[in-house]
Amino acid sequence: MSAENKPVREIVTPGQVISTDPSHLAGRGAVKEADQIISVFVGLKEERGKYINVVPLNGLYNPQIGDKIIARVTAKTPVKFLMDINSKFVGILKPSDAFRRSHSNRGYPKSMGTYRVPKENEMGKFKMGDMVICKVLSGSRVEEPTLTSLGQELGPISNGVVIVISPTKIPRVIGKKGSMISLLKNLLHCKIFVAQNGRIWIQGRAPENERLLIESIHKIEREAHTTGLTDRVKAYIIQEKKIRGIK
Amino acid sequence: MIDISKVVSSLEKNYIRKLLKQGKRIDGRGLFEYREVTVTAGFVPKAEGSADVHIGDSRVMCGVKYDIGRPYSDNPDKGVCTVMSEFVPIASPMFEPGRPGEDAIQLARVVDRGIRHTNCLDYNELCVKVGEFVYILFIDCYMMDHFGNLTDTAAIAAIAALLNVNLPRAKIDADGKLEWDGTYRPLNISEIPISITFGKIDDVIFVDPILAEEMVLDGSIAFAVDEKKQVTSIQKYKSATWSVEEIMETSAKAVEIADELRKKLNLRQYTPKAC
Amino acid sequence: MTILVQEPHDEVCFREDGKRLDGRAVDEIRSFSCEVGVIKNAQGSALVRHGGNQIYAAIYGPREVHPRHLAKPDRGILRVYYRMATFSVHERKSPAPNRRENEISKVIRESLEPVLFLEAYPDSQIEIYIEVIAADGGTRCASTTAASLALADAGIPMKSMVVGVAAGKAQGKVLLDLGDKEDKVGQADIPCVVVMKDKSISLLQFDGEMSLDEMKLGFEYVLKGAEDIYQSQLEALKSKYQKISEEALKEDAKIDKSAIATEEKIEDGPAEGPEDLPQNKSEDAVDLPVAEKVEEKAAEPKAPKAENPAPEPEGKTTPSNPPGDA
Repeated sequence: MSAENKPVREIVTPGQVISTDPSHLAGRGAVKEADQIISVFVGLKEERGKYINVVPLNGLYNPQIGDKIIARVTAKTPVKFLMDINSKFVGILKPSDAFRRSHSNRGYPKSMGTYRVPKENEMGKFKMGDMVICKVLSGSRVEEPTLTSLGQELGPISNGVVIVISPTKIPRVIGKKGSMISLLKNLLHCKIFVAQNGRIWIQGRAPENERLLIESIHKIEREAHTTGLTDRVKAYIIQEKKIRGIK
Repeated sequence: MIDISKVVSSLEKNYIRKLLKQGKRIDGRGLFEYREVTVTAGFVPKAEGSADVHIGDSRVMCGVKYDIGRPYSDNPDKGVCTVMSEFVPIASPMFEPGRPGEDAIQLARVVDRGIRHTNCLDYNELCVKVGEFVYILFIDCYMMDHFGNLTDTAAIAAIAALLNVNLPRAKIDADGKLEWDGTYRPLNISEIPISITFGKIDDVIFVDPILAEEMVLDGSIAFAVDEKKQVTSIQKYKSATWSVEEIMETSAKAVEIADELRKKLNLRQYTPKAC
Repeated sequence: MTILVQEPHDEVCFREDGKRLDGRAVDEIRSFSCEVGVIKNAQGSALVRHGGNQIYAAIYGPREVHPRHLAKPDRGILRVYYRMATFSVHERKSPAPNRRENEISKVIRESLEPVLFLEAYPDSQIEIYIEVIAADGGTRCASTTAASLALADAGIPMKSMVVGVAAGKAQGKVLLDLGDKEDKVGQADIPCVVVMKDKSISLLQFDGEMSLDEMKLGFEYVLKGAEDIYQSQLEALKSKYQKISEEALKEDAKIDKSAIATEEKIEDGPAEGPEDLPQNKSEDAVDLPVAEKVEEKAAEPKAPKAENPAPEPEGKTTPSNPPGDA
């Protein structure tokens, strides 16, 4: 830790020995071979107690339970939707996890015999290519994740636009305690939903705002490994707003 | 940029359409503003001519090689020039390895026609001995990065590579055998065709579509324009229909944009000196 | 194929002062430079200039395997496509892949497999596309160097970087890193790929005549040359990010602190999610602004975990978002 209490961050490369201290343990992005801890990524080294981690600077999204992601319907089978989630996996969304049950079915005892509520065609509700905000219900490193679109903030997106950045840079777009997101929202008067899989839904007051927002997000993505990013982005947006005459 | 995959949804289309209706583009350009073009030539030592062209982030590399062979029997005193294109999977997650597909062949044909019908090459100059030996030029375009409008990128790369060609001079010796006379020469290129592509969504027409626009557009149209401000070849892509007025207006725009671009690029600077 | 100019062909490989024709010592590599992130569409990419070679490599994946029957349920597959551009060589190459290209694709693949954790990607594939734009001898080695850089750039976990370099023999002398011309007159050629972590060799081919002592000397040269190339690789991987850091520092110096301060009046504006979501209006939706939800996310920040085969300590490590501001 340096004087300003900032963790020391060094760029390490695959195969680099990042610690030879036998009491250290290999954290994420590192493997232990004999007494050496070796990085497996181009990334930033950080020490957390006994663990040595490497935070990769580039990489794909790996689904984790509870993540909120933006998925795209890319295929249908008679019983489920297959979703592109910007990962090596295809997400699975079953209609029972996607649509609220119709209330009309409830309360009819079986004794009512032949009466049947006609079943809605649930598979027709999402079209190919629709963007849906989903939550990861299950899945592991080797399994295809199942998703749900039922719940708060979840569901299909019908306006605005979705942009995509490298998923490793997402925490930076959110910022410490959401600081970067509120900065963007307040300075540019727009709505943002940052999904863990690298997709960001945005909707602004005017196309100029959206344009500057997209450029700011790309600036954050590009400079994600640097320090003092919040101030720089703030100065950038204020300056650009003056130049472009955006309110 | 905008999240685009093979499956295009109404979300992207609506957004792009909404902006175009207001005369705006998703990358902040105007409707008739071309992206920045950069050209590097002569970077492959073993090719007779080469060019590496970026239009925005789209990138095409083009190299020219030659062969000496028999001319076609209907044109015994004319050389041959063929354009081929490879959509190498390096360029985009949507390209797959394998033989050139429909799109690659169409692109090569459009570039080829742009060059052929502008009469920029002197085919007679490519003849060594009538009916027996002519130069066959191979122009190979490699798509290296796909961010939209590969047609224009490849067309500029092809003509820049042709201008960059340094061809060994052939002579026929006393026994009628083919020989190199020890010198090189550039090609005599009288015209510089520039290709300009327009996209169309609903009734909005715009120049130089980027990938996101290309994925959702209804149709596009490519014009090859020569230095005399004439349109020398047109190719319409996809299913959109164009009214005659639209075509005429777009042609005029194409001539204007091509003229400006040609001046800015000054492609003749890549011509090597004869030696 | 009729060509006029035959490829220049020198019978000798050495100058009078004992150095090689291009002025190198026997154990010196050709000029080497590399760059990562050159193809923006790819997950990771690299350009390697090694002597007269110009080689691009791009990574796509891990992604689903097409065609499906190639997928392996227990491990990922690596697919390498090594191709030469038609204009990369002296006589125009046919665009269709030939037997040589297919063989080289295979040996490159096998040289990279030992450093990857393919078992972490069941049913998936990682594709490496290599395009030789200009060829000047030793392309399989330079291609492997490029592929290794591109894999690292893509953020695919690797045990080590690998470096390709060849040794050989010409006019009775053992040489490092033969150029095209030297290769043509040489008596032997040993292309090697070195795994830099433990200096083991993961690609080895050998053609020609050499005594065992000469071979030993050749391997010594290879390890020495590989170290030089390895340093350039590391430099390239780091400089991609360091350049941006330096620019950022310059920009930081220019920031008008007062301008930021005056605009400090950031109101706690309504931070909404997509308002048109039907579920948002449902009866069970608690009136909780999205911003707070986002804060929760940030409080337990998630750096995308990689398929790290190492045992992941539960709970103890909190992976953090990339470098924090003050």
